[in-house]
Amino acid sequence: MRSLVALKILLHDRTTTAGSVIGVIAIVFLVGQQLSVLFGLFNYMSVLVDHSSADVWICTKNTSTVNSAGLLPVSYLDRISALPFVSWAEPILFGSGSFKTKNGKNEGVQVVGVKNLRQAIAPWKYSQGSAASLFEYDSVTIDRLDIKKYGNPKINDIYEINDIGVRIAAITEGVKGFAGRLVFTNIVKAREILNTPPGRCRALLVKLKDPQLIEQGIAAIKKVLPSVQVISASELSSNTRAYYIINTGMGGSFGFSTLVGGLVGVIIITLTMYTAVLQREKDFAVLRALGARKLDIFVIVMVQSMIIGAIGIFIGFFLLALFLHTTYGSPLPSYMPRWASPILAFSTFLLCVFGSSIAMLKAIRIEPASVFR
Amino acid sequence: MSDPILRLQGIARDFHDGVELRRVIQKTDLDIYPGEFTIIAGPSGSGKTTLMTLMGLILRPSEGTVYIRDIKATGCSETKMATLRQKNYGFVFQLSELLPALSVMENIVVASGIQGSSVAGDIKKKALDLLKDFNLLDCLHLRPLQLSGGQKQRVAIVRALVNDPAVLLCDEPTSALDAESSQIVLDALKQLSKDKTRGLIMVTHDPRVFPYADRMIKIEDGIIVYDSLISKEQKAL
Repeated sequence: MRSLVALKILLHDRTTTAGSVIGVIAIVFLVGQQLSVLFGLFNYMSVLVDHSSADVWICTKNTSTVNSAGLLPVSYLDRISALPFVSWAEPILFGSGSFKTKNGKNEGVQVVGVKNLRQAIAPWKYSQGSAASLFEYDSVTIDRLDIKKYGNPKINDIYEINDIGVRIAAITEGVKGFAGRLVFTNIVKAREILNTPPGRCRALLVKLKDPQLIEQGIAAIKKVLPSVQVISASELSSNTRAYYIINTGMGGSFGFSTLVGGLVGVIIITLTMYTAVLQREKDFAVLRALGARKLDIFVIVMVQSMIIGAIGIFIGFFLLALFLHTTYGSPLPSYMPRWASPILAFSTFLLCVFGSSIAMLKAIRIEPASVFR
Repeated sequence: MSDPILRLQGIARDFHDGVELRRVIQKTDLDIYPGEFTIIAGPSGSGKTTLMTLMGLILRPSEGTVYIRDIKATGCSETKMATLRQKNYGFVFQLSELLPALSVMENIVVASGIQGSSVAGDIKKKALDLLKDFNLLDCLHLRPLQLSGGQKQRVAIVRALVNDPAVLLCDEPTSALDAESSQIVLDALKQLSKDKTRGLIMVTHDPRVFPYADRMIKIEDGIIVYDSLISKEQKAL
């Protein structure tokens, strides 16, 4: 009966119910949207590491992010390839470049040179062309999202990066980086574009025969190569993300926006639920007079809060899904990992109950004597 | 005479008006018997509503003890008091105070299920019987806003009766009604007062209601100044 009373009051007070639901939607959507952009940027930050098929990265000492790695001798490969637990090892080269567009403008890009045939790190999704395109000497890829910026180039069009002629051989799909637009090519062409001395690379990628033995593998490689940084791909990925979050102020900015989103929602819920209880003060007093305990009034307001929370979370997630769907494949980074949605839903539910707590306190303090005039 | 169904022993009530403690009900003994239609009358501010709320376990007395069906209610926890109200009392308020969000039927059975239990089938059946008796069966699914003042007050009486209370407490139930609706409500209450298992107490200052009473209590400045049974001859006068 208490749940029925709670539901009926909500349906009767449609305006205040709608207000509270909007509060919950605000929490889910504002916080969810901020988080999805943050997660999207996370993906961009460590995109090269996350999309490599390697277990271990070898870089110059004290490399804080993947993009800040210095140059290494490719000859180190000979020392580690022979190790018994190494499945394969490959060099990779990357660095900044200037892409000259058709109208003469320069667009900053990050050139990534991968070694054929394995291509330990290579575009993971193609719009036109394929990985085989990178076998050709002068070929590069560009991303679909950047085509406009470059002046709408087509396959086989010739352009210049760092004044070196390149041919557009493939178009990737949503392959973007945090430090600049990604342009993939083979390592030979990359060395030419980036003017890298012969026999040098930016990192060595190692695949272990047994990825479970990563700690032992790292220790063994460190023994062979004591003057470099040997780090697992997952650790390099999180180091890179942490570096950008702390040093760009992005963490604080997104954290603040998320907090504001949550706060706005809680304030809306608090005000509307409190107003709803004030409007129904007489009804609660009547129920108390008729035999309702404080607990029963608490349950009614709690059930109302839970119903509002459930509806708001449902609509909020629907809108969030719409946002993620709309921004998918657009320049706006947005990504919501599977584990984040239940946490967001549960947190919103808690905030909804928290927002209703003042209303609950007010409701249980209503004296049954107030119904008598 | 049967045993009292409601006993007030030495009860008094104080209120703090922000400046000083004021005694609004002076020390009083009062017994209410089943089958009696008791009217508590008095001018505004005399303490009649406070007395009724003390009888109805809505307020706690500052002194004294209240017994309902020989259960000592004073000193009980708030939860126990609520349960005693639910099981033993029916309230009819000045304005019907039906919950606008609920239908007529839901309003009637709400008290039975408000402590979390489901509404028993016999309560629903009793509600239907009472609605039929009060000529309200057509209003079963209507909302209070769709009812006239008289209909609302009759629904409130049905709500008060459905749990078969020992005491029916009515707080000026006709003050907001027109003459015709008042007559219908008073006739219904008079009929109910004949039930020998229930005491009916009405607070009013409307002299039109006085002829219906079996017992008249007058209160002034928190003191019962008159308490007498009314004979058939007195009523005829």
